[in-house]
Amino acid sequence: MATQILNIPLNRVEGDLEISVAMDGNKVTNAWSSGLMYRGIENILRGRSAMDGLVITPRVCGICTTSHLTAAVLALDAACGAVVPDDAIRMRNLTLLAEQVQSDVRHAFLMFNVDLANPAHADKPFYQEARRRYQPFQGETVIETVRQSAKLVEIIAIVGGQWPHSSFMVPGGLASAPSTGDLLQCTMLIKQFRKWYEQRVLGCSLERWQEIKSLQDLDDWLAEHENHRRGEVGFFLASARAAGLDKLGGGHDHFLSYGAFDLPKKTSVAPLLADATRLVPAGFLRDGQRHDFDQEQIREEIKYSWYEGNDGGLHPADGETRPYATGAEGEKYSWAKAPRYLGVPAETGPLAERLIAGDPLITDLKKELGATVLTRQFARLTRPATMLPIMSQWIAETDPNGLYYQAPPPLENCEGFGLTQVPRGALGHWLQIRDGKIARYQIITPTAWNGSPRGDSDLRGPWEEALIGATVKDLENPVELGHIVRSFDACLVCTVHSVQCGNKRRQPGVRIKV
Amino acid sequence: MSLSLFWLQGGGCGGDSMGLLSLDAPNLFEHLGLNDINLLWHPSLSNAGPHQYEQLVEELATGRQPLDILCVEGAVIRGPSGTGMYDTHCRQPKKNLIAKLAKQAKYVVAVGTCASFGGIGGDGEAEATGLQFHKRDKGGFLGADFTSGSGLPVVNLPGCPCHPEIIIGTLASLIGPWPLPLNDYNSPLQWYGMLVHQGCIRNEYHEYRVEEADFGKRGCLFFHLGCQGPLTHGPCNKLRWNGRNSKTAVGVPCMGCTDPEFPKQHPFFATRNIAGIPIDLPEGLDRAHYLAYKGMAAAAAPERLLTRKTRV
Repeated sequence: MATQILNIPLNRVEGDLEISVAMDGNKVTNAWSSGLMYRGIENILRGRSAMDGLVITPRVCGICTTSHLTAAVLALDAACGAVVPDDAIRMRNLTLLAEQVQSDVRHAFLMFNVDLANPAHADKPFYQEARRRYQPFQGETVIETVRQSAKLVEIIAIVGGQWPHSSFMVPGGLASAPSTGDLLQCTMLIKQFRKWYEQRVLGCSLERWQEIKSLQDLDDWLAEHENHRRGEVGFFLASARAAGLDKLGGGHDHFLSYGAFDLPKKTSVAPLLADATRLVPAGFLRDGQRHDFDQEQIREEIKYSWYEGNDGGLHPADGETRPYATGAEGEKYSWAKAPRYLGVPAETGPLAERLIAGDPLITDLKKELGATVLTRQFARLTRPATMLPIMSQWIAETDPNGLYYQAPPPLENCEGFGLTQVPRGALGHWLQIRDGKIARYQIITPTAWNGSPRGDSDLRGPWEEALIGATVKDLENPVELGHIVRSFDACLVCTVHSVQCGNKRRQPGVRIKV
Repeated sequence: MSLSLFWLQGGGCGGDSMGLLSLDAPNLFEHLGLNDINLLWHPSLSNAGPHQYEQLVEELATGRQPLDILCVEGAVIRGPSGTGMYDTHCRQPKKNLIAKLAKQAKYVVAVGTCASFGGIGGDGEAEATGLQFHKRDKGGFLGADFTSGSGLPVVNLPGCPCHPEIIIGTLASLIGPWPLPLNDYNSPLQWYGMLVHQGCIRNEYHEYRVEEADFGKRGCLFFHLGCQGPLTHGPCNKLRWNGRNSKTAVGVPCMGCTDPEFPKQHPFFATRNIAGIPIDLPEGLDRAHYLAYKGMAAAAAPERLLTRKTRV
């Protein structure tokens, strides 16, 4: 059968995304991913005052605004050598975790699981129940998720003034100290959310959940009680298996984490990987082998991206963003840059960070089922189970009379970078300050990693690769491709330098509109 | 009578939608139900496939299906060189879609500062502009003379993000018994006829000119730390955020995010001043009187404020 090219605009991701796939019959044989918007945020920052990234960069993304604030403040801390007091570290971690948990549940129940209620699954046993749970605006779980996630981000408003888009983290700590009353409110909000997460999402207590260390344990847990099967995790597992999501959407088997959540000097919270310096460890996992992470090994390549500049890729500290806006075609097919680690694409996100942390359950799932849509989404859906108790622990350790700000050295001529894990994976800000002004600002977002186009070595980006080999039953309703790309929790507004792909493709084939 | 609503995202971050999702009691979905609003499409929430979406847009753009409310979130991106190809949908500039739907809608609402005035990308390569204003200048993308089917201009709801209660309140007012008078920038006076400064819990510190030069303290942020609360129109300290708080309450200077010129070019965390007095004074004040007042107020400042004993 002749190859045809299918262009699919994809909604229910943050921002606009278009996927092109080459189809041989019903099988995907090639794929190209294009973000559709360029806002030029990095270049807007050039020439502005050193700290202005704290205000501008949260506006990169409405759902991970505290994430960008965190990367921005870490970069400034590093640039001037600020010492951040323990209690400020706790509050920074708490607020970023609140945003992460918010994003994990909103993504799962407002964006990803909605595909289970797609008519493509009408013949599956889970379909009617999925509709009852996930129909937009009406589904029972959808409504509960909206209510609960809104309560959770109140934590960020209590500490930081508002959500989204505050700038409450400053070099050297926080803009102000929370009061005893604030900390009590945060404590209660976490308890309340945790109760919902246990009842509705897990169907069991966090303590029971944490006993599950392998796929076998997980299946035993499912068999143990009806509540476990009825909870969101149990329902997801059953539906995902019935829909074949355990066989869909693999990848390169390269995983990246920058690490996240600096540990206070005094804390009872242990890092997820023994001896790591941050709660979530940094690392690079290639073919099952964990390697130390070294940010020097990052390059952004532009061979297939519509940018002018250096061939061979630049480290973000030397990076530039010069859109090549001539409309010329050629082998360049996307305006997203291609971040590479040691020259190869890498998947980032909850699956990557939990594999790198050596989480036994996720490691076993990946071994048994591969890095599939099921494994990837499961890693996200159950990440809050690890993080919620840690949030409570950090609040309990916080001293309302403690130190939350220590004046940093001046920001005159210096460089720094801020690396962290955020809801969708590895986020980095690199900045250079000259005479108190921003001379260079480069951002690499998680979606830049996951949704990148091909780079210098012609390897596809992670979700391009994940699409290969997928079978699409109905070309008019390619729900399988939605499952795959949404399992990466795509966030296109974040792809700060991605622009519209070309109108024509070099690849031969018919384009059909869906 | 149910009102149909189409939510379109242009060059923005999605933050206004995220703010809306964070409404509590009643939440977004309850609000839509209470106001009988039929949300035809929201890019982050809807389940319709690409094919159905294309059909819906076609029906609305040709007027075969009536469109009551068009909400636009994010700026109109015109770059590079006026082509709009920095923000596309189905290989067409998104701005074409905005123009087509605006022509049909009974009401057009610009949600957020980007959609209202151009916002974050207003000075950049994106060539971003607002629907009917570019910063302070009337015109923007749709032109100074544009009116929607109802005869109203684009209703601007600035803020980065726009406070969700303003969005819901504006939508509710369209079917309610009370009209919403607008200010010079076509924003409802109900919410933009006040200053962010009003209701700030640091007001007493401001009153006696107990000003902070660095973070981490309880005083006012206006003289040194760049706070634009006394110059910025918005209800942050009346409505509060997430039902809880505001930025100035926790020592974060107001960035003036509802202002047509947001983001201004000068540093966010520093106040431009002459001889220690801000260049940009609270709205409507003259310099001589302000200087005299502030001098006397500082002299009268009580000890509990000078020692920052009074909590905020």
